[in-house]
Amino acid sequence: MSSAPTAPPKDAPPEPSMLGAGLSYLIPGLGQIYQQRYAKGALFMVSLLGMFMVGQSMGQWQNVYIPREDGGGHRSLVGSLVLRWHYAGQFWIGVAAWPALSHYYGPPPRDVEENPSFWRRYQRPPGETQLNEFIVNSDRTPDLGWVYTVIAGMLNILVIYDAYAGPMILAVPTIPRKAAAPQPTMESKKEAVA
Amino acid sequence: MMLSTITIYLHLPLMLLVISLVYSATRHEEWDEILIEAFRWGIRMFGFMFTVGAVLFGVSFLW
Repeated sequence: MSSAPTAPPKDAPPEPSMLGAGLSYLIPGLGQIYQQRYAKGALFMVSLLGMFMVGQSMGQWQNVYIPREDGGGHRSLVGSLVLRWHYAGQFWIGVAAWPALSHYYGPPPRDVEENPSFWRRYQRPPGETQLNEFIVNSDRTPDLGWVYTVIAGMLNILVIYDAYAGPMILAVPTIPRKAAAPQPTMESKKEAVA
Repeated sequence: MMLSTITIYLHLPLMLLVISLVYSATRHEEWDEILIEAFRWGIRMFGFMFTVGAVLFGVSFLW
């Protein structure tokens, strides 16, 4: 004899899912879509990738990068992240921030072009002269741009947790409120006195 | 000069909406709860930023 499996209660937290978390790291919301939570997945995907891309465009697509060289040669990753800590937050957006890693670990550019194409300069560390010119000649928009990219990456950590263990509020056990004690009436007080 | 200073902050209401919606969606599963929480966080963040902005404006005005 087999008994039908009992459905878990609606408010019960779901089973932890490493696959869902991994998918949500790669592309925000993909883990939720895999878990058939389509609306939330679409919300995360559009919102976070949109915010990341808007932030990048405000910095002329050159505010997500890892500086790779100092005067003497290739800088260590830790040293680069100390210098450019923004990437430690931007990294959590997933695949969208991987071109910067590819530029960091890849071979150095063979020639310095005057006007490189969009894809050649996408997430590539800008030259010092170029960076100084850009910062001096623009308003506060580039600063706001990298803030948006870091916020998008940080929010995706919450999204990864949501894909791993479900919404945070379900993980906190709710304590039912005690029923309010009935207020004593005048008659009950008189009875108590008598 | 003043206009260009203001226009870089035109994204902020949209960003505020997105951040509060995403944060609330990671805390709840039901959409009505998500929207209520997002509204609360939106008001809190707007209030905080408005207060900071007002204080800075006041300081710059007095200086």
